[in-house]
Amino acid sequence: MLTVSNFTKAYTGRTVLTLPELAFSSGIHYFRGGNGSGKTTFFRTVAGLLPFSGQIWLTDQYEISRDPVAYRLRVNYAEAEPLYPSFLTPRDLAGFVGQAKQAPAGQVEQIARILGVNTFWTQPTGTFSSGMLKKLSLLLALLGSPTLVLLDEPLTTLDVATAAKLFDYIRQLHTEQGVSFWLTSHQDVSLTGLTLRGIWQVGDGGIVPTT
Amino acid sequence: MLTFLNRIFVGPFYARNAGTFLVIILLAFGFLSAREHKALITACLGSWFLLALVFVLWGFYLVKVSSFVRQELVAPEHLFLQTLWLVPTPSRYALWLAIQIGLLAPVIAYGSWMIQLATVYEKWDSLTAIVAYLFCLIGVGAYLNDYRLRHPGPDTLRIPHLQLKLPYELFFPVYWLRHEPLSLVLTKAFSGLLLAGVCRLYPTDDYDQRLLLIGLLLAILGHAQVGGQVSAFEKKYLLLLPNLPFTWWQRLVRYGLTYGLIWLPELLILGRNYPAEIQPDYVIWLWLTGWGWLLLLHSLAYGYDILPERWLSGIFGGFIGGLLLIMFGVPVGAWLIIGWVSAVGIWYRTFPL
Repeated sequence: MLTVSNFTKAYTGRTVLTLPELAFSSGIHYFRGGNGSGKTTFFRTVAGLLPFSGQIWLTDQYEISRDPVAYRLRVNYAEAEPLYPSFLTPRDLAGFVGQAKQAPAGQVEQIARILGVNTFWTQPTGTFSSGMLKKLSLLLALLGSPTLVLLDEPLTTLDVATAAKLFDYIRQLHTEQGVSFWLTSHQDVSLTGLTLRGIWQVGDGGIVPTT
Repeated sequence: MLTFLNRIFVGPFYARNAGTFLVIILLAFGFLSAREHKALITACLGSWFLLALVFVLWGFYLVKVSSFVRQELVAPEHLFLQTLWLVPTPSRYALWLAIQIGLLAPVIAYGSWMIQLATVYEKWDSLTAIVAYLFCLIGVGAYLNDYRLRHPGPDTLRIPHLQLKLPYELFFPVYWLRHEPLSLVLTKAFSGLLLAGVCRLYPTDDYDQRLLLIGLLLAILGHAQVGGQVSAFEKKYLLLLPNLPFTWWQRLVRYGLTYGLIWLPELLILGRNYPAEIQPDYVIWLWLTGWGWLLLLHSLAYGYDILPERWLSGIFGGFIGGLLLIMFGVPVGAWLIIGWVSAVGIWYRTFPL
């Protein structure tokens, strides 16, 4: 589903990740590793947020640099610690991102209801708790018709009831539409009830499978 | 601890306001020689009214400095600064005074020059007033900073939230208005007053279109910091932007609309004040040129961590070069094409999405 080759990510000359060749099948994958091991850097790079050297292919069709728009239409990302302009509301942000990601009619409202974002739809994000910000970032990451959704620490600050609804929805998207999900978490992912296709260890400048 | 606080307040203040300082340097030292400056200071020393005007300007500077410190104190990434509470009050005030001196350095430097001249001309009353006012600025600034530290969530007057859905093109303008209002007001006031002033100069002498072009050049340079502000805003609050499936030109069009909105007041000012010697269509070309050059500055600044002194010297070099080309008669049409083509070309090269 996603292939990484000759991948090198460096910050000001210091190499943090080197991946000569790595292929990820479709399904739900879990990435684990200690603080600063490079999980977020890898996710952000795959999401097209950070420059790098090498190639990233999605479904052997779309290369991140060669087909930047088609690739980004199919790869979504929710950050671990979201931060938005304090005066914007979920309505403003979901309107903008939904339009960019070509969200089908009614999708924004449906996911907003599932995650409970509809209850603070027109409140400015400056008044949000960290859990509310997390719900908003998850909503934005689920918009459109993605092939792959990267969820960086989705369990952090999320209440138990919403987490259960989120993982039900993830399961539904994966089963019915074949959407792949990548997760990082310092919590016990077995509690999510998701069937993991792969578990990956991130650290020492590389990523290796553990199953 | 002082070194640490300097890195949070003093360094970033000068870095973030490099464009404003450029404008001040251009105005204060670009058009007036040292001799003329001395004459100006001498006049201020001999007139309470002129001295009061200088004090008002320094007061504005204090407002700018204090609003910056207050903004930094409430920024989420600086919440740890609340631990400054634990520092004993005398030591904390000593730190604030040292920081305030660093922030007010340009005012203190100019004030010192005035004091030196006051000593030469034996203007002891003016000297006393300047020294007292400088001490007052430092003390009041330090007090305001400490007050904000002790009252981190004040019940201040806030601009009400709009009930309308906000389009992306308005994200930065609204942020600028809500979070950096002084920067917005100073930038637009400088640009607007300059263009209106240049238009009003025409009846006083036999000027040609070059004067308006020089005014436009300065008005654009007054906006030199905006590209960096947009970049910093989006890097901090809209991390998801590079993940959105927009082509390079779709991104540029959006920024173009944002800058068109920011630059719109100048069209109204030019439209209302343009001199009789200038054709109305020239005003339109002039405004479109300014729009293109703002977008060019954006293309040059966006996404880069440019050292402020490098950006400043680039802008200063651009001003000298632009002034020479205007004096040699390069027409507005050429400036229009250069601005827009360079803006698009540089953006395309930098963001080939």
